[in-house]
Amino acid sequence: MNRTEARLARIRGRALAKTHNARTIAALASNPGCARRAILDAAGADKQRIAAYAGFPAPFGQSRFALARGNAVEAQVKADGAAELLTLLREHLNLPIPQAHYDDLSEVGGNTSLDLRHARTRTLLARAAAARTDAGTMFDHPLLRLEVGGRHAFLEPDLIAFQLHGRFTIVEIKSFPVIDGQADGAKVAAAAIQSAVYVLALRDALAEQGLPAEAVSHETVLVCPRDFSSRPVATSLDVRKQLTVLRRQLARMDRIDDLLDLLPNDLTFDLDPDGDGIPRRSPAALAGAIRQVDARYAPECLSTCEMCFFCRDEARGGTAALGRDVREELGGVEHIETALRLARGARAGNDLAEAAELLRTAARLRADIIKEAV
Amino acid sequence: MSTLTALARAIAADTGAAQPICAVRHVHIGPRPLVFIPLALAGEANAPLAAMVGDDPQAPVLLVVPEPRDRDQRFAFAAELSAIVLSYIESHFAEEEPVGGRDPGTRYADAPQLLVPNPAGIAFTRLLGRSTRFRRTEGPYAVAESVPVLGRWLTFFADRAEHPGSSLMVAATDALAAHWATGQSSLEDGNLGALLGWIDPPPGMSGAQAAMEAEDPVRCPPAGPATDPTFDNEILDQRILAVRTARMTGDGRACDRAKAALTEALATQLEPTWALMWRAAGVLRRLPAGGHVRARWDADKAAFTWHAQHIADGGPPQPRRDGAVSAARRLANAERVQEMVAAQRAFDDPLVMAEHRLAGEAFAGQVVTAEPDRVDATGRRRVLRPRITVETEDDMVAETSVTLTSPARPSQKARVVDVTGPQVVLELQGGMGRSLTPEPGSVPAVGEPVCYAAFSDAWQPPPAFPEPEDTPWTHGGPPPEYIPSDEDAREDWS
Amino acid sequence: MTESVESLERHISQLRTAVREAVLAGDRERASALRRELRQAEQDWDEALARAQEAGAGDREEAGREVAGREEAGREEAGREEAGREAPGQDRGGAVLAGPANAASARAPQPPQAPLLPLREQVHEALSLLTVPAAPRLIATVHEAFFAGTFPTARLTSMKRDEERSFRTAPFARPYYVCAALTADLLAPARGLLAISTWPMERRVIGSLSPRVDFLTGAIRVAEAIERLPAPVPAARRLLWRFAASIPGAAESAGNMHPHEVTQAALAELAVHQAADQATRHAAARRARDQLDDAQQLFGTRIQLAGQRAQAKGGR
Repeated sequence: MNRTEARLARIRGRALAKTHNARTIAALASNPGCARRAILDAAGADKQRIAAYAGFPAPFGQSRFALARGNAVEAQVKADGAAELLTLLREHLNLPIPQAHYDDLSEVGGNTSLDLRHARTRTLLARAAAARTDAGTMFDHPLLRLEVGGRHAFLEPDLIAFQLHGRFTIVEIKSFPVIDGQADGAKVAAAAIQSAVYVLALRDALAEQGLPAEAVSHETVLVCPRDFSSRPVATSLDVRKQLTVLRRQLARMDRIDDLLDLLPNDLTFDLDPDGDGIPRRSPAALAGAIRQVDARYAPECLSTCEMCFFCRDEARGGTAALGRDVREELGGVEHIETALRLARGARAGNDLAEAAELLRTAARLRADIIKEAV
Repeated sequence: MSTLTALARAIAADTGAAQPICAVRHVHIGPRPLVFIPLALAGEANAPLAAMVGDDPQAPVLLVVPEPRDRDQRFAFAAELSAIVLSYIESHFAEEEPVGGRDPGTRYADAPQLLVPNPAGIAFTRLLGRSTRFRRTEGPYAVAESVPVLGRWLTFFADRAEHPGSSLMVAATDALAAHWATGQSSLEDGNLGALLGWIDPPPGMSGAQAAMEAEDPVRCPPAGPATDPTFDNEILDQRILAVRTARMTGDGRACDRAKAALTEALATQLEPTWALMWRAAGVLRRLPAGGHVRARWDADKAAFTWHAQHIADGGPPQPRRDGAVSAARRLANAERVQEMVAAQRAFDDPLVMAEHRLAGEAFAGQVVTAEPDRVDATGRRRVLRPRITVETEDDMVAETSVTLTSPARPSQKARVVDVTGPQVVLELQGGMGRSLTPEPGSVPAVGEPVCYAAFSDAWQPPPAFPEPEDTPWTHGGPPPEYIPSDEDAREDWS
Repeated sequence: MTESVESLERHISQLRTAVREAVLAGDRERASALRRELRQAEQDWDEALARAQEAGAGDREEAGREVAGREEAGREEAGREEAGREAPGQDRGGAVLAGPANAASARAPQPPQAPLLPLREQVHEALSLLTVPAAPRLIATVHEAFFAGTFPTARLTSMKRDEERSFRTAPFARPYYVCAALTADLLAPARGLLAISTWPMERRVIGSLSPRVDFLTGAIRVAEAIERLPAPVPAARRLLWRFAASIPGAAESAGNMHPHEVTQAALAELAVHQAADQATRHAAARRARDQLDDAQQLFGTRIQLAGQRAQAKGGR
C-alpha cells in the first residue's frame, strides 16, 4: 500500500471500503469541484452511514418494486442464452448468424470471487480479440476494473458484445421505457455516462494487451422496454462527449494527493465502533471532521450525493444553496447577507461594485412597487 | 430567473417567509376544478397504483388498483376514472355563450380544469392518455367504451399544459412557484408540501420551518406519482401480497379484508396531498387575477369547445407522433404565443414589468412636460401627434424612432423622438379619438407616472405553413391517414 | 396472550411506521430490531386470528363452503382441507385463513398444486419434453403449457442441492435425478440450468454455442408438442411465440405463426452452429468421463481457492 492509499485508509477508518460502481464514478463527473465528495469517495467511505450518524440521513432509498422490475427486464432479455438480446443485436449491430456465442462470467466454476471473475473476463476478451475463428459473441456479467483516484474499482456492465474482426460494444439494460421513440432525457443521459465509464474500463483492459482504443466502440447499446410492454428495443448512444468529460475528471481524481495535502494528518471519519458495532465517536466530533474538508454544495447534490442534507445545512446563508442561477443573478455574491446589504446600499469594494449596482437597482425597483424596504 | 426574483429568494431565505414575485395572478383558477392525484407503481412505464380525484374538497374519490401489473385491472381503473372525469367534463356542455369577432358563433361558457400536484403528474396523465386512447371497444382486447374517450381527453389536457398561457391543466407546484419566491432552491420547490409551507405556513411556524417538516415523507407523503420507497418496501409490498394471496386461495372475506387494508394504506399517502391541493387553489385564488387572464381563458374555452366537437364528430385520436408540418406549426405557434403571454404578464403586473425594466426593455417614470394638442402639419393631412417628456431613473436603451407601448394605453403607439440623460421625448399616436383634440385622459398629463415597453401585447398572426397534404418530401411527405389498427388495440400494457 | 386482533393490527401498523422512520434516519440496527419485532407481532396476529375464527365455529363452516364453492383454485384448497394435510391457521402460505403476508412464511403465495405429482416429477416431465437443459422459468412455463399447472420457480432453487444430497446418500437409488448441466471449460455446474441425469453426458455439457443450440432445439420440441395437441392451448402458443420471436424467419407475428415453419427456421439456424457445438460438447464430455466421479459428472465440480483444492479432488 503506497502512501496515498495509507492516508485514504486512515481517513476511512475501520469500516470496510465501499466499492465504486459505474453510478458513483459517473456522479464524480457531475460535481468535480467538491473536495469533500472526492475525498470520501476516494477513501471508500460509506457516505450514507456517515451522513446518518452525523444527524443528516440521506433521502435516498430504492423501492422494491423498481428493483424487481429492473431485474425482471434484465432477466427477460437475457433468458435462454440471451435470445431476445441476440435478436436485437443481430439487427442493431448486423451480427452474422454464426456469431451467437454466450459466455456467463457471473461465476467461475461456481466461485464468485471478484478477482477470479475479473481474470477470466480478461482471458475471454483477449481470446475473442485475438482469435481468427469465432470465440465469443456475448459476455454476460463481465467484470472489469478501473483505476479511480489511486484505487481499483470493479465494474460490472450488463453485457459486452463482440463482433468477429470487429469491435467490442458495451450493452446496458435499463427498465425505463422508450415510448413512441422517446425516453426520459435525464435517464438516458445517466445511462450514457454510465456506459461511458464501462467503455473506459474496457479500453484500459484491452490496452494492456496492446489493443487500440478503437477496439471498443464509442457507440454503446441501450436496451429498454418498448412502449408499455416488456419487449425490448435497442438504441445506440454516442458517448464520445461523456468519455472526454470522464477522462478529464478521472485525471483530476488521480491528483487526490493535492487535496490530501491540505488536510490534517489525523483526519478520520472512523465511527470508533465498540465490540457490538455501536459507534463511540460523538456525532458532533464526526461532523467536525467532515467540516475539515471543503464541500461545494449545490441543489443538484440533493439527487446525487448522500451527504446532501449535511452540506445543505452547512451551506445555509450562502447563495449557492439557492441555486447556481440565483447566485449568478445576484452578481456572483457568495452570501445572502452580503447581497442584501449591497441591495440596501452598502458600499462595495471594486470587485463587488458591479454586483452592488445591479442589486441596488433591483431593490429600488422592487421597493417602489411593493412599497416595502428590502 | 432574473435579479429581481433572485433577490426575492434571498429576502425569503433571510426572513423565513416566501416573497411575492407577482402582484397579480397570471393563471386562471376556476370555481370548480377537478383535482387529480395519481400514484404510480415504482419501476414501471405507467402502471397506475391509485388515484384520488374529485371536484369537491369534501368528497374525494379514491381509486385503487390491487394488482398494478394486471392488464385487466388497469383498464378497470381507467374505466372507473373515466366515469368520473367524463361526467365532470360533460357537465360543462350545458351552457354556451356567444363569441363575436371575426368568426362569430358559440362556445361553452366555461371549460373544465384539471389540477395535478406537479409536472410529473402532467407527464403521468400524458402517458395514461397515450396508453388508453388507441384501444378498441370491441373484438379481442376490448375495453370499456369510455376508456379511449378518456385517453383522448387526458391527451388533450396534457397537450394544452404545454401551450403557453393555457390554464386547462395546471401543476400546482408550477403555479405557486410562478408567483412566489421561497428561500430554498427551485429544485426543492418541486415538493408541494415544502413549497406551500414557505408560502402559507401554519400559525406559529415560519415558512422555513414548515418546509423542513414537509420533507419528512412519513409525515408528509410525496405528492406523487412516485411513492416513498420506504412506504413501498415496508407497507405497500405486504398489502399487495396479502391481496394476491387472498385471491389465490379464493377466500372472499380475506380478500375483502386485504383490499380494505391496501386501500387504507394508499389513502394515507393521498389524503395529505388532497388537502395540500385545495389549499394551493385557495392560496392562488387570494391573488387578484391579471387583466389578460380572462382573454387567455377564453382561448382555452375555445380549444375545449373545438376538441369536444372533434370527438363528437368522430374525429381520430391524436397521432403518436406529429407530422412534419404540424410539428413545425406547433413549435412556431408556441414561440409566438410565449412572447405574447410574456408581454401580457408584464402589462398586467408591475413586478413582472420591473424585470423588463431591469433588462432595459422598458422604463417607467413621470411625465414632466406634455403637449397634448400638438398637431403635425408636415404631411398632406393634419394629424394629432401629442408629445410628452418622461423623466426616468431606469436604464433603458431607447433609440430614436423605436415604437413603444404603455400598459395603461395599449392601443396607443409612442415613438421615441429624443433621449437626453434621464429624459425621453415621446410622440404619441392613436387611442385618442378621431378628432384633432384628444379625448380627456387619452394623453398622459404632467405628473402622471407612466411606463413604456419595447414590446406590446398585440395579437400576432401566425406564420404561413403549407397544408399537411402539401408536406414537402424533404420532410417526409404528407402524413398517413389514421386507420385504427389491431396493433393499437392489442398493444401491451404490461 | 389474549390481545385482540384489532389491537395487534394497530401495533403492527405502528411498528411499520417505526421501521420506515428508522430506515429514513439511516439507523440500520434499529430498523432490523424493529423488523424482528414486526415479524413477531405478525405471528401473534396470525394466532389471534386463528383463535378468533375457531371461536366462531359457524364462521368456519361458512368459510369452508365459500372456498368449496369457488370455480378456480378454491376447489383444490377444499380438497387439501379434506385430505387433512394442513390444519387451519397453521398453513404457512395462505390457505383458508389468509393471514397477513407473513414475512416468516413463504415469500410467494402458494398457488394450488397440480394434483398429485411431486415437484421433481413435474420438472422431469417438462425437461423430457424439451430434451435440453433449461432454466427454472422455462421449465415452469413448459409445464404450464403442456401439463396443466405451474409452480413457483422459487421452489426450484434448492432442488439441485437436494437432489445432490439424495444422490450422495444413495447413488443411483432413484431412476433419475434432476441434475446440473456442466460448463464445457471448467466442468462446473452451469448457473441456472437443470438437466436430467439419464441424458448422455454430451447433452449435459454447455459450450459457448450451446445455449443458442439448445434454445433452437427447444423450439423444435415445443413446436412438435403443439402439433401433437388435440386442441389449441393458448399457453402453448404463447410459449412457441416466445421462441419464434427470437428465431429469424420463424414467424411473422404471434397471430401468424405455424409450428412447422418455426421448426424449419430453427433447423436452418441449427445447421450453422451444430458442428462447432457438437465438437465442443464431445470433447468436454470425454474429459468429464475421464476426470470426474459419478457425483461430479451429475452435479459438477467447483473451483476452490488454494488449500481447499486438495479436498475437492480427494472426493473420488
